[in-house]
Amino acid sequence: MGKKMLNFEEQCKILNLLKSSSEQKSIEEMLTEFFTNPKLRHFNVCYSLSLLLQDKMMLSSTERLVAFAILHRSYSSQKSAANPFISFLVNAACDEGAENYERAFILHLLGFGNSNSSKEFLKQSASEYIKKFDPSSQTFPQKEQLQKQYLEKAHPEPYACLLKSTAVKNVLADPDVPPGCDANSAECVSQDVFDLEPGAKSKLGSGDRDEALSGLIANLSLEGLIPHWIRPLPPRFPVDEELVWLNPDNNHELQWDQGMCADTSRGAAVRDLIAKALRGPLAPNQQEQVLVELANDPKLVYHCGLTPRKLPELVESNPLIAVDVLIKLINSPEIAEYFTVLVNMDMSLHSMEVVNRLTTAVELPKEFVRTYITNCISSCENIKDKYMQNRLVRLVCVFLQSLIRNRIIDVKDLFIEVQAFCIEFSRIREAAGLFRLLKTLE
Amino acid sequence: MDSRDSSSSSVPNRDGTAGDDDGVLSVTAALAKDAALYFQSRKFAECVDVLTQLKTKKEGDPKVLHNIAIAEFLRDGCSDPKKMLEVLNNIKKRSEELAHASEEQVESGSDVGNKVTSGSKESGSTTHQVSASHSASTIYTAEFDTSVISLNIAVIWFHLHEYAKALSVLEPLYKNIEPIDETTALHICLLLLDVVLASCDASKSADVLNYLEKAFGVGNVSQGDNGNILLQQSTNLVGKLSSVPSSSLVSDASTPDLAASVNASENPLSGTLSEDPLDEMFSTLDISGQNLSRSADLTSPKELPRTTVDRSIFGVDLKLKLQLYKVRFLLLTRNIKLAKREVKHAMNIARGRESSTALLLKAQLEYARGNHRKAIKLLMASTNRTDTAISSMFNNNLGCIYYKLGKYHTSAVFFSKALSNCSSLQKEKPLKLFTFSQDKSLHITYNCGLQYLACGKPIIAARCFQKASLIFYKRPLLWLRLAECCLMAVEKGLVEGSRPPSNRSEIRVDVIGKGRWRKLLIEDGISRSGLVESVGKDDWALGGDEEPKLSLPLARQCLYNALHLLNCSDSSRLKCLLPSNSSLEENESSDGASSKNPNHKSLVGIDSKPSTLSVGLVNSNGDLKEPKAGTNQEMIHNSVAYFADICRKENQMMKQALLANLAYVELELENPLKALLAARSLLELPGCSRIYIFLGHVYAAEALCLLNKPKEAVEHLSIYLSGPNKVESPFSQEDCEQWLTEKPIDCEEPNGGGGAATAAKNPSPEGMQEFMFLKPEEACGTLYANLAALYATQGELDRAHQFTTQALSLLPNSTEATMTAIYIDLVLGKSQEALSKLKRCSHVRFLSSNLQSNKSS
Repeated sequence: MGKKMLNFEEQCKILNLLKSSSEQKSIEEMLTEFFTNPKLRHFNVCYSLSLLLQDKMMLSSTERLVAFAILHRSYSSQKSAANPFISFLVNAACDEGAENYERAFILHLLGFGNSNSSKEFLKQSASEYIKKFDPSSQTFPQKEQLQKQYLEKAHPEPYACLLKSTAVKNVLADPDVPPGCDANSAECVSQDVFDLEPGAKSKLGSGDRDEALSGLIANLSLEGLIPHWIRPLPPRFPVDEELVWLNPDNNHELQWDQGMCADTSRGAAVRDLIAKALRGPLAPNQQEQVLVELANDPKLVYHCGLTPRKLPELVESNPLIAVDVLIKLINSPEIAEYFTVLVNMDMSLHSMEVVNRLTTAVELPKEFVRTYITNCISSCENIKDKYMQNRLVRLVCVFLQSLIRNRIIDVKDLFIEVQAFCIEFSRIREAAGLFRLLKTLE
Repeated sequence: MDSRDSSSSSVPNRDGTAGDDDGVLSVTAALAKDAALYFQSRKFAECVDVLTQLKTKKEGDPKVLHNIAIAEFLRDGCSDPKKMLEVLNNIKKRSEELAHASEEQVESGSDVGNKVTSGSKESGSTTHQVSASHSASTIYTAEFDTSVISLNIAVIWFHLHEYAKALSVLEPLYKNIEPIDETTALHICLLLLDVVLASCDASKSADVLNYLEKAFGVGNVSQGDNGNILLQQSTNLVGKLSSVPSSSLVSDASTPDLAASVNASENPLSGTLSEDPLDEMFSTLDISGQNLSRSADLTSPKELPRTTVDRSIFGVDLKLKLQLYKVRFLLLTRNIKLAKREVKHAMNIARGRESSTALLLKAQLEYARGNHRKAIKLLMASTNRTDTAISSMFNNNLGCIYYKLGKYHTSAVFFSKALSNCSSLQKEKPLKLFTFSQDKSLHITYNCGLQYLACGKPIIAARCFQKASLIFYKRPLLWLRLAECCLMAVEKGLVEGSRPPSNRSEIRVDVIGKGRWRKLLIEDGISRSGLVESVGKDDWALGGDEEPKLSLPLARQCLYNALHLLNCSDSSRLKCLLPSNSSLEENESSDGASSKNPNHKSLVGIDSKPSTLSVGLVNSNGDLKEPKAGTNQEMIHNSVAYFADICRKENQMMKQALLANLAYVELELENPLKALLAARSLLELPGCSRIYIFLGHVYAAEALCLLNKPKEAVEHLSIYLSGPNKVESPFSQEDCEQWLTEKPIDCEEPNGGGGAATAAKNPSPEGMQEFMFLKPEEACGTLYANLAALYATQGELDRAHQFTTQALSLLPNSTEATMTAIYIDLVLGKSQEALSKLKRCSHVRFLSSNLQSNKSS
């Protein structure tokens, strides 16, 4: 629920205070009594009182004096400018429409004019003060003067939300009086007095001031009326494909491991032959056997005992088997390692043959082919033996021509490198041929 | 050297009891065969007996242990799958240890040999790489192959609905699937497909589907319009290869002696070097041309069927299965048109067989097309309702349909039926592993949550979502829904500390005193202060049994969760849009050892090469170009791209909703700065709907106003000002409809079922009703009211007054607008006008002060 400004205790306290204002207690006494409760929330109390004071009809003249005294006393320990209600007090003191004794009382409270600022006037009761008030004895200063004196040193406005700082009082007078009868007229007031006689209470246009007062005090809230912002609630997200539609699942059963106690000698013959093939060329019939067995069992290639490290030996001894195995391993996760080994091998007729065959059989990674060619070219350049160099250059040239013609490589990628190679070895017939081929492709 | 090689080949028998003893070997083999037969005939007790005998002969053999574990688990009624997982993991670990040990033996032997033979300079660099990855490969040497154990672990995770965990087991297997034997490989692929479909991962599904069709050749051999695909593929292949020889070296004029040498050397690879090595070189080089037919045979990359023999083994069953998978995939990717074609095809394959799954999928298809009546008919036709699991699905699906028809209460009935089916399924004995995966109660519970939310029951809805979060916690939408529950609960005053709804939409006026003393105290009922204070410290922790305490801070937390998940999926989806690259990245990150390899990138690229054929077939409208004569691969790939597009759009929409909700929640929690941030990011979203742009501006303006920056606030609102005091409609009715039907629905061909198409195109009245938001004119009124409030605080009362008049004409019942109007009157000193406005307003409740003071005392 909305915040009520005052708790029950505070409400009682204020009501009692206001009621007792008509008694003959001195104002000072009442103030002291009022502030004995340390839990009292000064601001809330003062704010409620200030709201009540704004309505000139609500409080009696003595009650008003006491209320003003409290507004002042609540913050009297600080500088006047620190009192949040100082401007309210100043405005009240300058209110031409207010009773003069009230304005004078406020000026007294503020200590205006008399430097000795005696608090003597508080020693009398509120009604005494009104009775003894002599209008001629009091001069009323200009509002500007008061503002200058009390507000000048005021702190800058504390931070407050824009919407809230512009709040207006949320209490509206809604006098329920017959039309034509001025609610505030003296007649009505006198009628009221008359109504207060026992037995004549619920007459039209009448009402109980005490009831209204206690009701107000009970319901006043800190927040005034403020302009309201419409904050639309975002729409709910549309339900589209969100509902879960269910379909029967496929049943996945636990699988028996068929490999239990299985004959692990699978392909033992091939393993032996591959081992042999690493050490030297196989006989044609042996070679045939390997190829046939590998073709019969597509998984055998993974169990034939070959590892990337052993590949160079296989390539040098049995290039055809190497090609076959590599083609079968093309989908294996290890194929990258095989290629790495192949590309880093010493350049040789057989390795070139293997690569050439691979290029026609499967799609090789471009990067691999490029690196291989670069290695070929640099091998040619580094070789010392002229005869061997000639041979290798011729090999590389034929190899490159084959790659270019089969569109395995894009000449553009290697154009400069290959061209430089051709020029360097232009004395060799095949290099000149490769150069011509390059030119036709340009 | 000899001894080394023989030792490597005899390693598998190393721990066997005298593996070279033929007698013992045959005894174990016979026992193994018996056990397998018992297992197949589901006589698990007998099977375990035989296995126990076998165990004494092969102590510690992981495969024996594995089969014992499986048989015992099945014998005992699958009672404790979690424990079974533990057992299997232990066996797997042991098997890997053994493999590693034998590996080391081989390695230590071969290292010596290696140093002797290869003295090449590169050996140093390569050795490292080779040995790093070597262990991975040798796991697949038959003896210590753990693929079946891993598969079974994944099977259990799958049945427990733990798809992420199943995936983490299956993916390594799938990546290294080549060496795995056919049957196991097929099981792995099928399970993986189910897992990725269940986790709605379209691109992985596509990958596996493609692989299955290629490797097992089933998808290609289809009737009707797909018949030409195989032909096309194979001709493509041949064409590619045959282009090679035509320009081969043979025809090179510069080497005239070449042709002769080719003919001369019949078998140039005999290994013996000829006299002129160069000649031999030439000849071997061009052999590639001559022996082309041979080399084509040798090619067994994934383009070719894995084995032609296997196809007949798996037969029609597998064919139908794959076809149904394809339909499920197409439904997942919302490729309705193709799904329709393929489901027809599935019905053809299933002719004369049990095809209830096909019918269910057809029902789902019609449901997805918005053809609800037909969906109901198909459901009715498909169902064998004696089966509890099936009837649970049946009820759930009917619930979905009735929800879409806007009949929330009917749908509630079906959902709760489905749930009770599930709970009776749990009681069925004997327990099967399948029973676990058939329990879809959490999925159904999610549907219930949606239904309760639609019925305006946020607390019970939240309870459903909380339960469903066990499986859906990674879905941003779940968190958005929970946040919506919170907002609805707060709005309805169901949350501790929030006002009951009447208080929020009404102006409360305390009538104090009587007669001429009567005062009206206007309570600031709309002001939200007080909500913040109710924020409890006991934030709802996920997974607790406790009921979620719906609150605004919880809403905020949920929204942040959703945003986080959405951003994660955005970045991963970005990868999916570039299929080849994404698989590359995954591979690179997963096997770091080989990622240094310069060749690696393009090597892995081979796999996904076919799928890069046709990126960009999805045109800018988001329509899918029908791949008329396209291959399966293309079709699948297009579907993935299309789905990625849908997901991107949906995520965009969700992001708008999340940010708008967040801005709203932050405003409610009185954090204008955070609200402003959220609203600004909402406005910065590309392709933001006009509805959410409107919300973004309104929230931003309010936040700025709360931050005392009225000038900037005015800027946000004045975007909609067309004249000095005239507001333009921030969005149109069409915008609302478009928002509701954002999903690109495949429309029916004009000749058939036009009704379905229109039903799908336009939001149903129920849908619009569900979309509870301001009408365009109400949005205008909101803008007027807020401009009025803004100018009132600025002291520009005349302007404020004009706006407020317009606001009240559009929103006569708006509490806020009335309050602002009254405020302006009061500031202008027109208390009589304020009073008459107050008395005219239908949303005012006058309360007697006596009651109030009594209550408060």
